[in-house]
Amino acid sequence: MDNVCEEQVFSSVFKANSKTVFNYIYYKFGNEEKAHDAVQEAFVKLWENCAKVVPEKAKSYLYTVANNLYLNVLKAEKVRLKYAAPTLEHSNESPEFLMEEQQYKEKLDKALNDLPENQRTTFLLNRIDGKKYAEIAEMEGVSVKAIEKRMHLALKTLREQIDGI
Amino acid sequence: MQENYLAKWLSGELSEAELSEFKKSDAYASYNKLKKVSGTMEAPEFNADQAFQKLMDERIGAAPKVVALHPFKKFLRVAAAIAILLTGSYFYVNTLDESVTTALAERTEVVLPDNSEILLNADSRISYSEKNWDEERNVALKGEAFFKVAKGKKFTVSTNHGTVAVLGTQFNVENREDFFEVTCFEGLVSVTYNNTETQLPAGSSFVVIDGQIMDAPKPNTTQPTWVNNESSFERIPLEFVLNELERQFNIKVKTQNVDKNLLFTGTFSNTDLNMALKSISTPSRMNYKLEGDNVLFYAEKTP
Repeated sequence: MDNVCEEQVFSSVFKANSKTVFNYIYYKFGNEEKAHDAVQEAFVKLWENCAKVVPEKAKSYLYTVANNLYLNVLKAEKVRLKYAAPTLEHSNESPEFLMEEQQYKEKLDKALNDLPENQRTTFLLNRIDGKKYAEIAEMEGVSVKAIEKRMHLALKTLREQIDGI
Repeated sequence: MQENYLAKWLSGELSEAELSEFKKSDAYASYNKLKKVSGTMEAPEFNADQAFQKLMDERIGAAPKVVALHPFKKFLRVAAAIAILLTGSYFYVNTLDESVTTALAERTEVVLPDNSEILLNADSRISYSEKNWDEERNVALKGEAFFKVAKGKKFTVSTNHGTVAVLGTQFNVENREDFFEVTCFEGLVSVTYNNTETQLPAGSSFVVIDGQIMDAPKPNTTQPTWVNNESSFERIPLEFVLNELERQFNIKVKTQNVDKNLLFTGTFSNTDLNMALKSISTPSRMNYKLEGDNVLFYAEKTP
């Protein structure tokens, strides 16, 4: 069986998961520097305990370590996300439309920052990283239903914030 | 509409009917826009290769650094081990018997927990358990000692020749190689030798030489003479006299043409070697030569 202690396996686990670990911590706390540190710390821990962690459990192990690292220590900062550059099609739109788009994104950003941390993390992991609810549930260590609830509430709150309801 | 339908809608899990119902609602357009725009968002840059390189170079490749992060833990581990060893040996030493040893040409006095006194002659050793003293007054003896036993429970002296038991008295026990002597100066002493018990009243001795119980002379003093820095003998083979001389002065004695089985009666000083040598050699008709720590006794030439 594959062992995380083998550098080949460890390296592939890193390539497959480091970006998501980074995003996961970033969505939670909005601190880029800490997210970079979390990746380092989580993988050092995984390497040190490589004999005890089977490859299938490596993923959830990483999220647990990364999460515990800043639990109750780090206060959430503002999450600043980038948006895809407007395509050529969009650039043909009227200036009014572009301005509306810009305003919409600003509202979305603000609404995201105002979300509870667990709803924001769930929403962004799904929307940006394309994670399925089941995967997010595993990362957060909760049921799929709980994630669906968070997602539902996130969408509801975001829409209310943006539409000013 | 089912529970958490917004989440179900986003993951495409709504049924046809539910979806068309949702699409008819006022909020649908807003949610659809939210879905579209949020799908174009991006997280900050993250270079996985660079991060991996950093991890290997700074953290995992440089493994000794990781170890050095917890020097205190290591110190604690060592400290704990030492503490356990120390406590362990403390308790072990505590259960050991007390012992007092005298070197050659040395004498010492020991006061036992019940104020009994022991005078320890040269090259001797006693040991006893201070902890169990109240339950059992027992002293193991190698060599020679004079006991002044305080009144109380049975007091025993164990030797490899035999056991001496008393209640409260003064007596001397000499336990040397092939030589065992008990002299009672006060009270009553019981000597067990070869499973035979002998009652020894004050002013009498029990002597065993080379396994033979001897007819012992009665002491005419209240203390063994060595307590007063003299060694006295009455009809004792010369060999044991010379052994005692070696012990008292820490010297080596050699003999030439001398019958060491000759019985010796007399006294020698434990403080003045020349006097002692004369005291031994004159009645036994021997000459002696003293060179450093070596003494040679040799037979007087027949005239």
